[in-house]
Amino acid sequence: MELAKNLNASVNKSFGKTDLLVDLAQSISGVILIGFLWMHMLFVATIVVSPELFDALSEGLDKYYLAQFGIPATILVIIIHIFLAGRRAPLRLRDLRITYRMASLMKHYDTWVWVGQVITALGVGIMASMHLWTILTHWPLRAATSAARVASNGPADITWGSFTFPYYVVFYVIFLIFGEYHGGFGLYRILVKWGWWERHTMGWVLKGITVIIVVLGLTALYTFTKIAANPALGGAIH
Amino acid sequence: MGRQITISCFRFNPNIPGDKPRMQDYKLEEYEGMTLFIALNDIREKLDPTLVFDFVCRAAICGSCAMLINGRPRLACKTMTRNLPSHFTVMPLPVFKLIGDLSVDTGKWFRDLQMRTEAWIHTTKKFDFNALEVRMDNKIAEEIYEPERCVECGCCVACCITANIRDDFMGATGINRVCRFIIDPRDERADAEYFEVVGDEGGTFGCVGLMACDDMCPMELPLQENLAFVRRKMAGAGLKLTFPGIKL
Amino acid sequence: MSAKNTHYCDVLVIGAGLAANRSAIEAAQAGLSVIILSLVPPRRSHSTAAQGGMQASLGNVAMGKGDNPQIHFEDTVKGSDWGCDQEVAKMFCETVPSMIRQLDSWGVPWNRVTAGKKKYASGIETEDTKEKEGLITARDFGGTAKWRCCYTSDGTGHTVVFVVDTVVCKLNIPVHDRVEAISLIHDGVTCYGCVARDLRNGELNVYLAKSTIIGTGGAGRIYAASTNAVICEGTGGAIALKTGLVPLGNMEAIQFHPTGMPPVYILMTEGARGDGGYLLDKNMHRFMPDYEPKKKELASRDVVSRRMVQHIRAGFGVDSKYSTQQHLWLDIRHLGQKWVWTNLREIANIAMNFNGVDPAKELVPVIPTQHYTMGGVRTNKDGAAYGLKGLFAMGEAACWDLHGFNRLGGNSLAETVTAGYICGKQVAKYTLGATQDFNMKVVEDAVKFEEENINNLISGKNGKENVYDIRTAMGTTMMEHVHIFRTGKALEQGVAKLQELYKRSLKIGLRSSGQGANPELALAIKMPGQVRTALCVAYGALMRTESRGSHFREDFPKRDDANWLKRTLAYWKEGADLPTLDYEPVATPLLPPGDRGYGEASAGPVKK
Ligand SMILES: Cc1cc2nc3c(=O)[nH]c(=O)nc-3n(C[C@H](O)[C@H](O)[C@H](O)COP(=O)(O)OP(=O)(O)OC[C@H]3O[C@@H](n4cnc5c(N)ncnc54)[C@H](O)[C@@H]3O)c2cc1C
Ligand code: FES
Repeated sequence: MELAKNLNASVNKSFGKTDLLVDLAQSISGVILIGFLWMHMLFVATIVVSPELFDALSEGLDKYYLAQFGIPATILVIIIHIFLAGRRAPLRLRDLRITYRMASLMKHYDTWVWVGQVITALGVGIMASMHLWTILTHWPLRAATSAARVASNGPADITWGSFTFPYYVVFYVIFLIFGEYHGGFGLYRILVKWGWWERHTMGWVLKGITVIIVVLGLTALYTFTKIAANPALGGAIH
Repeated sequence: MGRQITISCFRFNPNIPGDKPRMQDYKLEEYEGMTLFIALNDIREKLDPTLVFDFVCRAAICGSCAMLINGRPRLACKTMTRNLPSHFTVMPLPVFKLIGDLSVDTGKWFRDLQMRTEAWIHTTKKFDFNALEVRMDNKIAEEIYEPERCVECGCCVACCITANIRDDFMGATGINRVCRFIIDPRDERADAEYFEVVGDEGGTFGCVGLMACDDMCPMELPLQENLAFVRRKMAGAGLKLTFPGIKL
Repeated sequence: MSAKNTHYCDVLVIGAGLAANRSAIEAAQAGLSVIILSLVPPRRSHSTAAQGGMQASLGNVAMGKGDNPQIHFEDTVKGSDWGCDQEVAKMFCETVPSMIRQLDSWGVPWNRVTAGKKKYASGIETEDTKEKEGLITARDFGGTAKWRCCYTSDGTGHTVVFVVDTVVCKLNIPVHDRVEAISLIHDGVTCYGCVARDLRNGELNVYLAKSTIIGTGGAGRIYAASTNAVICEGTGGAIALKTGLVPLGNMEAIQFHPTGMPPVYILMTEGARGDGGYLLDKNMHRFMPDYEPKKKELASRDVVSRRMVQHIRAGFGVDSKYSTQQHLWLDIRHLGQKWVWTNLREIANIAMNFNGVDPAKELVPVIPTQHYTMGGVRTNKDGAAYGLKGLFAMGEAACWDLHGFNRLGGNSLAETVTAGYICGKQVAKYTLGATQDFNMKVVEDAVKFEEENINNLISGKNGKENVYDIRTAMGTTMMEHVHIFRTGKALEQGVAKLQELYKRSLKIGLRSSGQGANPELALAIKMPGQVRTALCVAYGALMRTESRGSHFREDFPKRDDANWLKRTLAYWKEGADLPTLDYEPVATPLLPPGDRGYGEASAGPVKK
């Protein structure tokens, strides 16, 4: 009896510690990913300044093996994050139903935002793999290749008369918005859970940053399409 | 002449065989200063004596009367009808066991919570009837009072998706209660002991950070702050337990 | 059919307020098995609503310097208008400081003394020394010579209830909440326990114990307007009265608090005036100093309430948009935004929530409102009820007689824990020495009686009277006939009306099916008991031809110690429609009757 009790207690205790470690790992992987995402977007946005800068940066990354190391590492973190954060998502049908009902009953902003995060998580997961696939199959990564990729028509040409569906542009716009939404609010949530800051002000700051990054991303995308239309702008592959 | 209001009430009495959950409309005339306490009692006295609901203090002090008003958990006694549209709904709090209509069993839930978190002062000191009280800084007394103000109405539990999904999640109120004891210098528990009662997914690490609790607490407790405080404290305690010798 | 479940224990505690819970702790610590019954989870009991504080002569704060139990005792006796039991008062005043400290050791976050010079909004300047820093502080309350009201911001009752309940949890004392005691079981000599109705499903259960404690709180809801919670219906007293053996003491002694806020009559704590708030009339004139130059707004509650009504009658009341009653203003604007929203936050919230008024900027409407029942189940100083062995009572439900004819603010929370401790110990002592045979026939008869009553209410066999109509009529009768100012004529009419209502209350028939957790049935069961209680108040008031404390007779405006230094004991004989009144002398061995130092009635000649 006593033994069973002790055993139980120690088992519970170690579970407790697991809960902590898992929660910490989820938060940390989240912070790493949002850090990565924001850096990534800043790097991409250098295209707006000049293709030369973009290329110099990306060559630098290759040269010092940052890309070769960074990409697999990021993939690993993403996988960890999916596993850890995924366990919190309402995956069972019953949970989904409860979540939807309470969210619509209460009309509570942060709860809806979270529902949005669950949905975008799904989207980001799928689109990130597609994005990685296309990049890795079109290596190296330079202004010209990126521009070409953005302007290409994608897996299947969908055309209506003279209009060709801009597959990659649409893909990247959605990916950008989903990614930033999920990441921005994810960081907000992590800070709410751990931090000292009043969350309403913090929320506005994060929303501000997110909007800036999205605008940067869209501008970059626009620049890429311009380069693709007029390769003279983008220079050759160095 | 006041305005006509229509209250759609959730009705279901599990003790009456064959009774089915449904919404029932009641029409009333509103008057100056009408709260839901007045309105629901009017319904019971004049329209439908079977309607079950709970009020005790009717002054937003005791936490008895929480219910979903137009979908949001609130204390009915301090909800003025004039701040609501002319047609609104009232429903019992989710998560808690339904007793009938708008009444739910918060008593048992909260007693279980006290037992589970051992929510009392743990001390080895024996009380001496002839001694002076132990001195305390007034600031600390006021700090303890902040989380202690919780009235255990259950609003934060009802609006929490995690609590709605997981049976073992103690909700903001539970974490806040532990927070009160952590602050209190009279409680001699070490952080590791607190970790045992809140350091898991049923407690502080179950919180996903949706903050509905923070937005809907009728006592306006600083729940975000208190929850984050406990989380950090417990993360420290847990790390020390996991990696003995670590300095934090 | 018999009761669904029968529970046995050593000590049955009816109620889970402060008095009940505190006594349960004593009994449990003595090793006895205890069950607590309550209408609501313990922490929702009405004690939670007490905002102001608890009197104890700790003498830590500068304005309480030199305080001691003797001065507290004198204030209490004067406050009671010499109506209290002086032995009880003495014992209480001596014990209460250690009670406060014990609560501290259990976790109550009492506000503490901070060193330094202070200027209060009321104009008083003091200096607290380093030597007292960190000890429990106190604020000013009405009718006291020293500042001795210990407090935790504006939530004293809340914190004390929560902390005492943590000890109940720690001792793992079972609490059966949502259970209502509806009658006592007794064999004419000894109390066996009670029949109780489970408010979750409507089932009847039996609780049998060697000792039964009534700690069911006040009876304020016999008045239409009261500061009390809606569950303060005096049921504990009513079921004791119903035995015919146990008397209710001094039921005519009802306290009216000066500052209830219409339209729902929620209390604005005395702390508001203690902290320096004023009362204003329709001309924005601060009128209390005109009547009470010495104590001003802080004379005892009975006096301030009467002065307010007197002032309204003199034509200075404010027309109310809430009711036909006129009201006055409470002004705490000069205390400043910060003070109001920290030290008086609870009432600031109440004013805001219920009237949309920010008291730091605007005036709050107030009117004297029923607040406290000094009377209750009459007990000796051990808390043992008169008339039945094994029955005890404490807290507001009891007439231990600490308060006589007027309770001092802050003395009743203090009474609950002190009585719970002192009498709880006596209960334990009695129970440890007691054996009990339960005559099961008596038990079964009691259950059968209640069952039949319920069946009759459901079927409407005795009549079809509407229970809500009766309650409303009782409430307004008490407001019109048995309020602050009383006269023989009005009381006679009131008694007659109540007698009529009593007869009707025996003919109640439900409109609903009465199934399950039915609220109409719950009220119907206790309605006759409530009218009986109301009759004890009204009839006791009619017969007491003097003015004492809060009992004020316009036709007998003076205190009459020669004839009325006695306590009313109201019994209810079976089949009667009026209580039978008996009296016992009130001894004044320690402090002979004299002048209270405030108020109008006390100036009367002391006849020899
Ligand atoms: C608004 C307000 C403010 C106050 N402020 C102060 C203050 O500042 N200082 C002060 O000293 N005093 C104050 N008082 C007075 C004081 O709060 C009460 O007198 C005191 O709390 C009564 O405590 P109690 O334990 O006797 O009863 P309560 O706390 O009223 O508890 C009664 C218990 O009995 C239970 N019960 C009742 N009937 C039954 C039944 N039939 N079966 C089973 N259970 C039953 C209830 O569920 C409850 O648990 C205030 C009172 C009010 C109304
Ligand atoms: S009835 Fe007490 S909080 Fe509403």
